[in-house]
Amino acid sequence: MSMFLKIYKKQFSCYQMRPSVNRPPTPDARLDREKEPSVLEIINIKLIESGEKERLMELLRERLIECGWKDEMKALCRAFVKKKGRNNVTVDDLVHVIMPKGRASIPDSVKAELLQRIRTFLVSAAV
Amino acid sequence: MSKQNPSYTNPKPCKHLADYKLRHGLNGFKTLQNCLKTTPYGRTSVSKHKSETPRCSLCFGYQGRLYFCLICSSITCSSHANEHSQSHHGHEIAVDVERAELYCCVCRDQVYDPDFDRAVVSKHFMDMPSNVNGVEGVVEESNKRRRLGLGLELEWKRSKRLISMADRRAKSIFPLGLRGLNNLGNTCFMNSVLQALFHAPPLRNYFLSDRHNRQSCRRRSSDRLCLPCDIDVIFSAVFSGDRTPYSPARFLYSWWQHSENLASYEQQDAHEFFISMLDQIHVKEGKSGNQDKDNRDCQCIAHKAFSGLLRSDVTCTTCGFTSTTYDPCVDISLNLDMSFCPSTGMTNRTTKPNENAIISTLLGCLDLFTRPEKLGPDQKLYCQNCQERRNSLKQMSIRRLPIVLCLHIKRFEHSTIRKMSRKIDQYLQFPFSLDMTPYLSSSIVRNRFGNRIFTFEGDESETCTEFEVFAVVTHSGMLESGHYVTYVRVRNRWYKCDDAWITEVDEGVVRASQCYLMYYVQKGFYYKASEDLSCLPMSPPGGESYLPIAGCC
Repeated sequence: MSMFLKIYKKQFSCYQMRPSVNRPPTPDARLDREKEPSVLEIINIKLIESGEKERLMELLRERLIECGWKDEMKALCRAFVKKKGRNNVTVDDLVHVIMPKGRASIPDSVKAELLQRIRTFLVSAAV
Repeated sequence: MSKQNPSYTNPKPCKHLADYKLRHGLNGFKTLQNCLKTTPYGRTSVSKHKSETPRCSLCFGYQGRLYFCLICSSITCSSHANEHSQSHHGHEIAVDVERAELYCCVCRDQVYDPDFDRAVVSKHFMDMPSNVNGVEGVVEESNKRRRLGLGLELEWKRSKRLISMADRRAKSIFPLGLRGLNNLGNTCFMNSVLQALFHAPPLRNYFLSDRHNRQSCRRRSSDRLCLPCDIDVIFSAVFSGDRTPYSPARFLYSWWQHSENLASYEQQDAHEFFISMLDQIHVKEGKSGNQDKDNRDCQCIAHKAFSGLLRSDVTCTTCGFTSTTYDPCVDISLNLDMSFCPSTGMTNRTTKPNENAIISTLLGCLDLFTRPEKLGPDQKLYCQNCQERRNSLKQMSIRRLPIVLCLHIKRFEHSTIRKMSRKIDQYLQFPFSLDMTPYLSSSIVRNRFGNRIFTFEGDESETCTEFEVFAVVTHSGMLESGHYVTYVRVRNRWYKCDDAWITEVDEGVVRASQCYLMYYVQKGFYYKASEDLSCLPMSPPGGESYLPIAGCC
C-alpha cells in the first residue's frame, strides 16, 4: 500500500469505525476514557448481545474435548500439581502454566471452524 | 478409609472465606442468585446487566478470567483482583463471572463452599422448566442391599466346606477351578464365556454351595429342561479336582434347546451367548412374568450378580428441560475410543487417524460412553416443555453398579455405504484395577454444573466403586471366522484357557491381548474369593510355574 493511501485511510477511518450499536449508559469511570472501542471489542459486544458467543463457546468446548485437547491440558495440570504439591498450587498458577501451551496446541481445524462461524455471523449481523 | 470419594468431601475453607461466611452468612449468595444466568447446557454465569460486556473496573480488559466481588459487585480481572481486595477491606471473596465459582482474591485461588454451590445449582433448577422425571432420583437404597451382602457371605462359607471335601487325587498344583473344556465344533465362543463365569465370585459361590439343587429342581418342575441344572453339573465337574478336559456336551445341547435360532455348529458371538445364558437363567429362576423396571429385586443369580442400572439424560438445547430415564442392564457395550493420541499430541480431525499412533484405553471408552452426545438434526426429540421437536443432548451414566461388571467392546463396524461389516482390531489398553467413580450418575450430573461441592441425590457411597478384573475374553481373527481365548485371574496369577488347554501366563501377555469381553468384580468380592480355595497349595517355591495341562480332544 502506498504512503498516500495509508494516510488517506487513517484520516477517514475514524468516521468508518464509529460504533452503531446501542449500549446501556456507561458507568462513570469510562467517561474519562477518550479511546474508541476497537474492532475486536465491537465484534465481541455483537457476539455477546446476540447470544452467538455462548453458542460458539459450547461448540469450542465440544471440539476441544473431541480432539483430546482437554485431556492433554488435564495431564499437564496433574503433572504440575504433582511436582509442586497439592497444597502449593493455586488456580492462577495453573492458568499461567498451561496458557502458552494451551493456546499453541489448539488444532488448526478447530480455529478454522470457529473463524468461519464468526465470519458467517458478522456477515449476517451487518445486513 | 472413607468410602466416599475424597474429591467431593468439603475442603477446608481459607481464612477469608470463613470470615466472609461468619459475617455475611448466606445473604450474599441469595442476592447473587438474581445476577446468575443459566444455560441449557448446565452452565451458570454471572450476568448483572444482560448483554453488557463485563470489564475489569481497573484496566477495562474483558479477556481472561473476570471476578465479581460479592460485597460491592465490581468486576476485576485476575491481574487486578488482588488489588481490589487490598484497597477495599473485606472485599476478599469474589465469583468467577464465566463459571459462577468462588474465588479468594487474597489467596488467588479457587475456593469451595457447599452453601454457595447449593445456591447456584438451585438457581439452575428454578430456571429450568419443571421436571417430572428429573433429578428427584430413584427410590433410595434400602436395606435389601445389605441383606444381599450378608446372604452371599453365608454362601461362600458353605462352599468352603464343600470344596475341602474335593477330590484330592489332583496332582496338579494349579488352583481349583481350572479345567479345560473340549471344543465340540466351533464352540470356543461358549467355552471362553464359561471359563470366565466359573470365576465370577457370586456365580461360583452360588453353584458350589448347592443353591441350585438338581434333585429338588427335578422334583419341583415337570419341565426337564433346566439350564441352571446343567450349569451346576459343569461347575461340579470343573471344581472337582479332575484335570482332564471336560466336554460340555450336555450343556451345549441344553442351550440349543433354549436358543433354537443359535443352534448350529456355526461360529457364534461370545457376547451374544453370554446374554442368552443370563436370560435363560433368569427365565428359569427369576420372578416369572415380572416386568418391573429395576431388576434389583429379581432373585435369580444372573441378575443378582450382573444387573446394574443405567441412567440416560436427554436435554433440550433450547430450553434446558432434561428428561431422565433409568434402564436396567447386565453389561455395558462400549465403542472404541479412537481419538486420543498421547505421544504426538492430539489427532487432527482433518487427517486420517493413523492406527499405529492411536492408543485406545478402556478409560477413554468409558469417557466416550458418558460424554454428552449431540443428537443429529435428523434425531430431534420431542421436548415436553417446548412442545415440539428440538435439538437435544444425550448423556449416559451409571446409576447403580453391578457386583460383576461385564464390559463389551464393540469391535465391529458396519458400513451402510459399502453394506458390509468389518472387525476393528485396534488394540485396547485396560487396567487391572478399575475405579468406576467418574462414570457414576452422581459424578456425571454433578460435573454438568461446573466445579461443585455438592451431594447429588444420594451419592452411592455404600456401593464399592473399585473393581478388579478376573477374566478377559479375547478374540483373534476376522468377523466371520476367529478364535476366542479367555484369560482368568486366580489369586493374582493369570491362566490362559484355550479350549482344552490351560497354561499359566505372564500378566504381560494378558495386557497385550485383544480384549473383547472384560469381567470386573467389586474389589471386596475379588479378595474374599482369593482367600477361599486356599486349601490347596500353589506352585512349589522355585518350581516351574508353567505346567501345561493338555488334553487330546
